Amino acid sequence: MQVHKYDVVIVGAGGAGMRAAIESGQRARTAVLTKLYPTRSHTGAAQGGMCAALANVEEDNWEWHTFDTIKGGDYLVDQDAAEVMAKEAIDAVLDLEKMGLPFNRTPEGKIDQRRFGGHTRDHGKSPVRRACYAADRTGHMILQTLYQNCVKHNVEFYNEYYVLDLLVLEEDAVRADGTPFKQKRVAGVVSYDLASGEIHVFQAKSVVFASGGVGKVFKTTSNAHTLTGDGMGIAFRRGIPLEDMEFVQFHPTGLAGLGILLSEAARGEGAILRNSEGERFMERYAPTIKDLAPRDIVARSMALEVREGRGCGPNKDYVLLDLTHLEPAHIDAKLPDITEFARTYLGVEPYTEPVPVFPTAHYAMGGIPTNIKGEVLQDNDTIIPGLYAAGEVACVSVHGSNRLGTNSLLDINVFGKRSGINAAEYAKTADWVEVPEDADADTIRLVETVRNANGTERVAQLRKELQDTMDANVQVFRTEQSLTETLNVIASLRERYKNISVQDKGKRFNLDLLEAVELGFLLDMAQVMTVAALHRQESRGGHFREDFPDRDDVNFMKHSMAYLDETAETEHVAGIRLETKPVVFTRYEPMVRKY
Amino acid sequence: MAVSTEIQAPRSGRIAPEYKRHGRSKGNFEMFAWLFMRLSGVVLVVLIFGHLFVNLMVGEGVHAIDFGFVGGKWADPFWQVWDLAMLWLAMLHGTNGVRTIINDYAEKDGTRMTLKTVLYLASAVVIVLGTLVIFTFDPCPAGAAADLLPSFCRA
Amino acid sequence: MTAQNTEPVEPASKVELAPGIGGGGEIPSYDVTLRVRRYNPEVSDEGHWDEFKLTMYGTDRVLDALHKAKWEHDGSLSFRRSCAHGVCGSDAMRINGRNRLACKTLLKDLDTSKPITVEAIKGLPVEKDLIVDMEPFFQSYREIMPFLISSGHEPTRERLQSAEDRERFDDTTKCILCAACTSSCPVFWTDGQYFGPAAIVNAHRFIFDSRDDAGDMRLEILNDKEGVWRCRTTFNCTEACPRGIQVTKAIAEVKQAVLNRKI
Repeated sequence: MQVHKYDVVIVGAGGAGMRAAIESGQRARTAVLTKLYPTRSHTGAAQGGMCAALANVEEDNWEWHTFDTIKGGDYLVDQDAAEVMAKEAIDAVLDLEKMGLPFNRTPEGKIDQRRFGGHTRDHGKSPVRRACYAADRTGHMILQTLYQNCVKHNVEFYNEYYVLDLLVLEEDAVRADGTPFKQKRVAGVVSYDLASGEIHVFQAKSVVFASGGVGKVFKTTSNAHTLTGDGMGIAFRRGIPLEDMEFVQFHPTGLAGLGILLSEAARGEGAILRNSEGERFMERYAPTIKDLAPRDIVARSMALEVREGRGCGPNKDYVLLDLTHLEPAHIDAKLPDITEFARTYLGVEPYTEPVPVFPTAHYAMGGIPTNIKGEVLQDNDTIIPGLYAAGEVACVSVHGSNRLGTNSLLDINVFGKRSGINAAEYAKTADWVEVPEDADADTIRLVETVRNANGTERVAQLRKELQDTMDANVQVFRTEQSLTETLNVIASLRERYKNISVQDKGKRFNLDLLEAVELGFLLDMAQVMTVAALHRQESRGGHFREDFPDRDDVNFMKHSMAYLDETAETEHVAGIRLETKPVVFTRYEPMVRKY
Repeated sequence: MAVSTEIQAPRSGRIAPEYKRHGRSKGNFEMFAWLFMRLSGVVLVVLIFGHLFVNLMVGEGVHAIDFGFVGGKWADPFWQVWDLAMLWLAMLHGTNGVRTIINDYAEKDGTRMTLKTVLYLASAVVIVLGTLVIFTFDPCPAGAAADLLPSFCRA
Repeated sequence: MTAQNTEPVEPASKVELAPGIGGGGEIPSYDVTLRVRRYNPEVSDEGHWDEFKLTMYGTDRVLDALHKAKWEHDGSLSFRRSCAHGVCGSDAMRINGRNRLACKTLLKDLDTSKPITVEAIKGLPVEKDLIVDMEPFFQSYREIMPFLISSGHEPTRERLQSAEDRERFDDTTKCILCAACTSSCPVFWTDGQYFGPAAIVNAHRFIFDSRDDAGDMRLEILNDKEGVWRCRTTFNCTEACPRGIQVTKAIAEVKQAVLNRKI
């Protein structure tokens, strides 16, 4: 067993991971483990911007930003966390600028800002220019800038090290009120070196999970092939709960049929959505801010237009994003990449033709529960010392049931930084947790079982069936029937998963094995997601139940917490226990959500 | 359990030895070489076309070229300097060009060294010989057999 | 990149759409033959070519064909990929002899009557099939100090930069470090000593950033015998860049900057 010893180990090298690494690397001996190369992470695909109330171009303040975030999340947002994020957003943007991020500039040379969905002045009066941006490649610039600063601070990367297990021990402890409980402690992680096929154990005082989302449970998604919910899956399998997994954001404007993201910035710059009758239908659904309504509302409106027969194209299965009234020079300056996507992948010229778009799975609002310091919770209020999470894998929860556009780039920077600092500070005073003798045994068993799998089912086929089901049944519209059907499909897929075949038996870059392991995580996560969705009998934010179309604050104004529990059963699914966690309110009372 | 903390991050900054750059080069040789190629190129265009024009077009043109014509030119210091400049610039330009080609295409250091040695020797020989000829050329050496000398020497 | 905050004209609530707008019609399918250069040192020291006959559809890319080959025919076929739409830079490879991103190369743009050849990018050690060792590439990148270095006091707010100054280095900020340029460069192929276009592009991004104060240090690094002067302006890099960066132009500007500084 090869054991490496670091004060802090960061799992994932996207925006959150590298932001944490920059802080932690300057304070403690830090290693970053990633199953890719750092610059391949999907932060780079983010386009539109990062909101902060800099007030560089018009009046704004962080309190309005907090309100928008909470209202955008349909009041399922923990308000203390939203306040922290909106307040620290300003420094987060300025930090990035000082690190060298090339933002677009105003004529005075300040960071330019533009409009984005759901961001308003004075609690919903009108759209506000709050998103700081670098053309339509803000995510790319953030990822590059963070990597550049990791190079500057000599952060140690373990590229193509796939983390497969979290070493968690349980100790007997007693709560303040005298009740005994099992306190989880973290000793490190176990990883699989893709290049050599070797298992490496990393002992660490602090572990930061920043491994991203789980978009690949859906067929139509803006997510990368590599976003398979590994971090969430590892935590879940180790008894750590997952919060609010039923909430998935569907981005309104994915290229029809492909799911490739076309930034909301297009609408921020003035593009509009039209149905087959040429109508700007968002005027009906959100009379005040129209096309700049939050994503859940726009996505649902689009799906409704298509369902009611006003879709475009031969199969009437998409709507159109119209940029033709904008100046080509303006498009080139502000939206160069997305117009190129339309040209490359659909052969559509956005100057003169509207672009076919349809909602695409984009972001998991839920994930590993943390507090505002980035510390992971093992239940509603007990932290796991030394374990942190940030970014899409985590649920702070600043996004509630629907994330506002640009708030994910903000999330990774604010909570990535917090996690990095806190992880390093914790490591300074904490003692090592002993790594068990057989620390790598579970991982070796997992890897070897998969490598030697000689069944009859193809991994790609199972994954395709899962993704098709999720797209058909757990997308923008959900019903009890569609969700129950999905659970049945998942159950049968999980059975068939035991009979997969893996053709590549080698050690070197065995990506066949990798995909099979990833499918295991996908199946777990899809099941948790669907169970939680079935349990939540209301409609809120990104979760819309046709059989329960209204928000139900009496019964469901609370976070869901899913635990792996062999003895439990939820919605006829054995092994999952669903609990709830109260939402933190500070100053905003739930109101009807109208735009 | 053997805890080894000495395992290096294998894919972080450790590169195959053949890709390691062997130390930094000092000075600005490559920059001046690059600059020289551009400047000498421009000057050579003037020198060579001037040379061709005078030799091939002026007066009777190409029909006038004979031993005497060359002898006559090299009796004039202007043409001596012209031809010397042309010789030196062309040789250095060409040698440097071949040097870069060797650098670009020879894969082993040994091959590269051998080829460049041959190149530099050959260039040196040509430059030295050429310079000698331009300055020591005497169309009518004293004491030579009269039937070997051109007609104008008798004058 | 002018920061024009002019109010766009409010678009019409309803327009007449031209019939058939937004594309559509039947999605054509066609057969392609994919010839992939295979190499697995666990099995053999020699590489070989494998052919896959596949039925592909309208908007499919080379990456889709590779996936189909891997998922339906040979699971051991190995290649890197992630975002699948040309922003992460994982899947640079040689397609029909040219460096391209597999996810950005549409099959319909290639001649599908002949086999489509796919090989690993050249000049870097092949590890397996289409996967190469990227470390030498990233080493050159690290050596040019690819981060903002600024002397003097940190301002409390952002540093100011005019839109023109920002525009000056815009082209080279687009780099995704896919290595398509460096591995298309004949000079790099020889011995891998040349810094390569990608490192120079990333140096350019900082040298021409008005906020940066370490341009001289980077120019000194690139004045090396393996630096900018090894560029032969063959334009392979510009042709290969999936982001449309004018790579050769950037290198020329760095050369100019070295000269201006020295002379």
